Parts: sequence; C-alpha cells; structure tokens
Amino acid sequence: MYAPLLSNRYLTSRIIPFLAVAAVALCVALVIVVVSVMSGFLEEVRRSGKTLIGDVVVTRDITGIPHYEEFIREIEALPTAEAACAVVETYGLLQMPYGQGDGGKQIETVQVWGIEPTSFDRVTDYRSKLYWRTPTKEETAALAPDDPRLDAEYQRDREGMSLHNAAGEPGLVLGIEISPFNRRTKDGSYRTENQSGAQDPGYFMPNIEPAPLLTLVPVTESGKIVGEKKMRFPVVNEFQSGVFQIDSQRVLAPIAEIQRMLALDAADVVSRTERDENGQPKIEGRTPARATTILVKAKPGVDPMQLRTDVEVAYARFFETIMKDPVRSRFGRPPLSVLVATWEQRLSALLGPVEKERSLMRTLFSIVYVVCAALVLAIFWSIVQEKTRDIGILRAIGASRTGVLWIFLRYGMLIGVVGSLLGVLLAWAIVARLNDIHDLLGTPSPTWLRVLAWLAVLVGLGMIVRSVRRASALRTVLWGFGTVGLASLAAVLWNHEGHVIWDPSVYYFSRIPSEIDTDIAWTTAVFGTLFSVIGAAIPAGRAADTDPVKSLRYE
Amino acid sequence: MQPSAPHSALLSARNVRKTYHLGKVRVPVLRDASIDIAAGEWVSIVGSSGSGKSTLLHLLGGLDRPDADSGPISFAGDELRAFGPRRENEYRNRDVGFVFQFYHLLPELTVLENAMLPSLVGLGRFRWLLARGELRERAAELLKTCGLGHRLLHRPAELSGGERQRVAIARALINKPRVLLADEPTGNLDEKTGGGILDLLASCHADGLTLVMVTHDASIARRAQRQVRIADGCVALARE
Repeated sequence: MYAPLLSNRYLTSRIIPFLAVAAVALCVALVIVVVSVMSGFLEEVRRSGKTLIGDVVVTRDITGIPHYEEFIREIEALPTAEAACAVVETYGLLQMPYGQGDGGKQIETVQVWGIEPTSFDRVTDYRSKLYWRTPTKEETAALAPDDPRLDAEYQRDREGMSLHNAAGEPGLVLGIEISPFNRRTKDGSYRTENQSGAQDPGYFMPNIEPAPLLTLVPVTESGKIVGEKKMRFPVVNEFQSGVFQIDSQRVLAPIAEIQRMLALDAADVVSRTERDENGQPKIEGRTPARATTILVKAKPGVDPMQLRTDVEVAYARFFETIMKDPVRSRFGRPPLSVLVATWEQRLSALLGPVEKERSLMRTLFSIVYVVCAALVLAIFWSIVQEKTRDIGILRAIGASRTGVLWIFLRYGMLIGVVGSLLGVLLAWAIVARLNDIHDLLGTPSPTWLRVLAWLAVLVGLGMIVRSVRRASALRTVLWGFGTVGLASLAAVLWNHEGHVIWDPSVYYFSRIPSEIDTDIAWTTAVFGTLFSVIGAAIPAGRAADTDPVKSLRYE
Repeated sequence: MQPSAPHSALLSARNVRKTYHLGKVRVPVLRDASIDIAAGEWVSIVGSSGSGKSTLLHLLGGLDRPDADSGPISFAGDELRAFGPRRENEYRNRDVGFVFQFYHLLPELTVLENAMLPSLVGLGRFRWLLARGELRERAAELLKTCGLGHRLLHRPAELSGGERQRVAIARALINKPRVLLADEPTGNLDEKTGGGILDLLASCHADGLTLVMVTHDASIARRAQRQVRIADGCVALARE
C-alpha cells in the first residue's frame, strides 16, 4: 500500500520528475517528428516512382509482343486487373530547337514511350500529370496569381489529352525537366524563362518553332540496326510526375508513330518468289503491330504480386491461343516468354537508393533512440540514486525488496506514460502544423515581434539589476542566462528575413510531408515508457538488494 | 566475557563476529561479542567511536548480517539467520522498532504519514483499507503522546531536530514492537531536547517495552537498567 503513496509523492513533491517527464516527452516528440517527416518524404518518393507505370509491367525487348490487343483483352478479363494499355518503349535523340548542340541545337537523349492517351490514362492517371492544362477550381485556388497555368495561352488540355496539335499533327509530351528553360520556383510551379532569366512565353515548349526533331533507331529481331528514322514532332504539352529521373528523360508520343518509326507497325508480308496478277510480289499475309510493354492496373485492394501471377497465367493462355491458330502464329508468333514484374521490381533501380536511404535513416534513428534511452536512463539513475537512503529506511522498517522495486517501477512507469503521451501530443501538434511553422520561418518576422523581443530583453536587464541589489545569486544567474537567451532571440528576429528550409525548387514536393507515422508514434511511446521503467528499475533493484545499513549510510 | 542476563533472554547474541571489507583491507569490528537482553529490560550499549556498538545494534535489528563464521543472534529463541526474506521483513516491521541518530524520515511524507509508514508496509492493500481509520487514529495518538499533535500535517523539513526524533520514535512504535533499538537517539540533539527524548523513551520502557540504546555518553547510558560496554569488538563490561 505504501508503493502508490510514495510513487505519487515522489512525482508531485519535487521538480526533478517534471524534468524527467519533459525529457521523455521531448525525446519521444523528437523521434516521432523526424521519423514521420523522413518516412513521409521517402514514401512520397516511392509513391511518385509508381507514377505513369501502373501496378504490373509486361515487357519484351524491341522485337515486341504481336497481337497485344488480344493479350490486353485477356488481361482485362482477369478479376484482379482493372485496365491495361500498350506502350512502345525505346530510346532516341531529341534535337531541341535551341541550345548548344550541333548547329546551335540542344540534343537530348530521351526515353520515348509511344502511348495511346485514353488507355494510358486509365492505367496511370496520366491526365493528372499533364502540366499545361486547364486547372480545376480547387487547383486554381491553390495557384500563385502569376502562375502561367492560369493563362489560357499556356493551357494545352482543352481538347482532351490529345497527342496531336491543333493542325492534327502528331506531337510530343515532354517531361517538364527536359527543357532547361522551365525554372522551378519555390512554390513548386514552373516559369518559362529565356536565357537571361526573364519570363518569356517564347520559350514555352508548345510555342517553340521549329518543332523538335526525334531520331529513333529501329532494330531487327537479330539486333541489326535498320537505319535511323527522323521525324519532327511539335510539343503539345509537358508532364510532371514528380520524379526527376522521369521528368528529365521521358517523352510521350502517339504509339502509332513510334511503331511506324521502329517498324513495329502492321505490315504486309510478301512472297519472294510468287507474283500476283499485276506482276507485284504476292501478299501472303499481314504481320500484326507490336508493343514492347503492357502496363496493367490492379483492381483496388489487389496485391500487385497476385496480379503479376495472374498476368503470367494470362500470357500463357494467350500464347497457347495464338499458337493454335496457324495463320496468326505464322505472321505474328508471340515470344515464348515475357518479363512480368510488379512496379516495384521494375523500378528497383530507382527505388533501391530510396530503400537504402530508408535503411540508413532507420540505422541513424536507432542511434537517436539509443541516445534518448540513455538520457532517460541517466535521469532515472540519478533520481533513484538520490533516493538510496529512502530505500534503506524502507528496508529498515520491513519493506520487501520487491515492494521497494515496485515503488520505482510505478514511478518510472508513470513518468514514462505521461512523458510519452505528452511527447506524442507534442509531435502531433508539430507535425500537423509543420508547413505553417515552416511558412512562418520563411517569412520575415513582424516589427511588433522584434520590438517585443527587445522590450523583453530590457525587462530581463532590469531583473538582473534587481537580483544583484537583493544579493540573490541564483536569481541573478537565472535572469542572466534568460536575458542572454532573449537577446539572442531578439537578434535572430531582428535579422530574420525569411529562411526557407524545404525549398521546392530543390525537393520534388512543394509541401513537407505532414502526416504522423502512427506506428512509429506508438512504438516510440512504448519504448519511451519501457526505457523509463528500465531506467528506474536497474538502480532501484541494485539499491533494494543492498543491505539496509549500507543504503542508510549512502550519501 | 559474557554479561549475564537478569531474566530469560528475548534478544540474544552469542560470539557474534562482523568484519567490514574496505577494498582488500579487512576491518574486524565485532569479535565474539555476546549479549542477552531480557524482555522488558532497558540496556545501554556504550563504547568509544568505532568500537562496534552501532554494528551490534544493526545486527540485533536484522539490518545487517554477521560473518559466516559468526555465532547466532536469536529473537525469542528463533535464530535470525534462519529467517527467510519474508520473516526477516516481518521481524524488522513488527518485532523490532528502530530509532536512528539522524532520524531517517522520508521528506516527501507528512509527520502523520511517516509515523504510519511501518503499518503501511506491514499491511496489504485490502487489510490497509479495512484498518486505515484505526491506524491513522493510533498514529495521531502516538504523535500526541510524543508532543506532536499540532504537527501532524507538517513535513519533516519543517520540524526541529527534537521533533523529528519524536516522529522517528512514533514511527518505531506504531506496530507495537517488542523491542525498540535506538542508535544514539540524542546524539544529534542539544541537552534539553535530548533529555525530553530520553524521558519519552523511559515512559515507553515503563509501559513494558524492551529498550536497547546505543550511546557514547555515560550520563545518558546511566538512565538504563543495565549498561554494557564494547571495547575491541567484544562486550567487555556489564554494569547493573
């Protein structure tokens, strides 16, 4: 019965337990805030990596998959698949109309994706990634007044997601980082600027004349280069996936044009020996168009690994169906195997470093955890050490070892629970308002606050003088340190002209991830409590094991 | 030399040895010390500083353990060494009461709570809930007897040395022990205050309590029925 009485008294009658609660709360809050933001950031990178790719990707080399429309129908009949689309993927050279390349032109190596916009959008939510489109009402409210997207001149989505310009010519959609004249601003939006840095619609890619020149190199099944194919494509839009590697390299074009340039389009097969009635080589059949990649979107809640297995089965079925048909198999024999991968497997090169970063962060934070745990342990060690004599008294009047231990376990547990809960609340308050706090730091401090800070410094100086006159050393020291702190704060406020830490012109995301990681929060709270209990239990156990006389003699 | 006991012994030590180890140095404090204390007796243990008188008191009260080759210490015929942890705690809690030179009160508790502490320790939650009114009353009564009726809700820091020692005596008596062991109970007090404490102890003894008191002051020791002197780690002299 004495355990609750004593643990409550120890908690409420001295200041040190409050310092311990504050230490636990600050440690817990520190870990939760930093891990939440870092996890949120890495999760954003990971989520962005999934952009424009779907859940499962079927790939074949440049020879492609014939009869892919039939394979897509087979996939879309799967109960786990929501939609699928075909892509022709290759690399090419894009000669931009300005720059320092050959003839004053900038030449970029680009990853070319031939797509059909509507089906591509069903799988990848492509529409939302188009940058120069008419913003929705909500989007309009969030844009800066001078954002070019509010200007109809810059909007390119009025006709839907067409990959053709107003004249009906096939065009390109570029990753927004390909053009060096798209400058990303601090709010995450882009301004088109000319070489002297002034905003200039003349450098807006869809306005550029002449149109960029795309060069592709068709390759035969045996790997022979057939000869380069060149074609001018006007830029009809730009997209922003949020991943620099994609936005700086990828170009989208109409699938039919890319198939044609790579000789993957449908074509007649003529006889080398027979002639028709007009004396022309006899047409024996027609090879189907080919796609190198099929993107598949999973139904909501379906695991991509499950979908991957289903797609593999669907491909086997598709292969069998085609092979049973002598005509179709003769002119478009599908490859025996294709590579089926989930988006994570496909993007392992991109996600690998992110995962490494996450592992590194976990390692670093395990050190932070250990530091926090050591801090809590040290505080409790000193608290219980200070109570060694009390332990001796209790043992001298008949308290058992477990009884003594229980006092300090309760003590540690109460401090741990209260500290951890306060830490979670503090972390939640900080994380929820993180962007506001950041915005506040990013704006110059108001004059009234600067003046108030200096007034507080004057009050502090007055209190120092008063304390000196009253010959109070403690108050003089406390007011001295307090005033130095206030003066430093006032000086910082005086010189503060806005400091942006999270600069969207550097990071992918315009806002700091501000969702608390609940798993981390509760795990940290549990560990905070656990370390408090351990911190109290070890010295208490040691003291309880000591003979009462030794504890009583402890000074 | 073994002092004779006037009556059958309630508390007895036979050839008790105690050695302290200061690093590698062995410091023998008690060497075959023997003492018998009868029920209802008031015995003073005197001796110079470092003679081992407090050590003997701690051994008698079960606060410390004698050497492995030591003779037995018995309470009412039961050897302390044979006590298990539970009985050992019970012995300290119910059979003996301790009064220390430096009071050893818990600073976070009030005077009343300090006095009640041994009963809180001795009772489980359920028994405490049943008996708490009665125990509170008894503690308050004891404190009144000790002249602290007006100080029940004060903290030890707000009391004088003499008042603190009275609280310590009330605490030692709360569980109605058979023996009160007092280690220099007036050693930290002025003569007048110390005299008041001795009067209080004398009245406890008059009520039938067995009292063992350690002191280095011969005048204080003379108030006991019997004095034993410790010299060179042995009980050297007994004076009626």
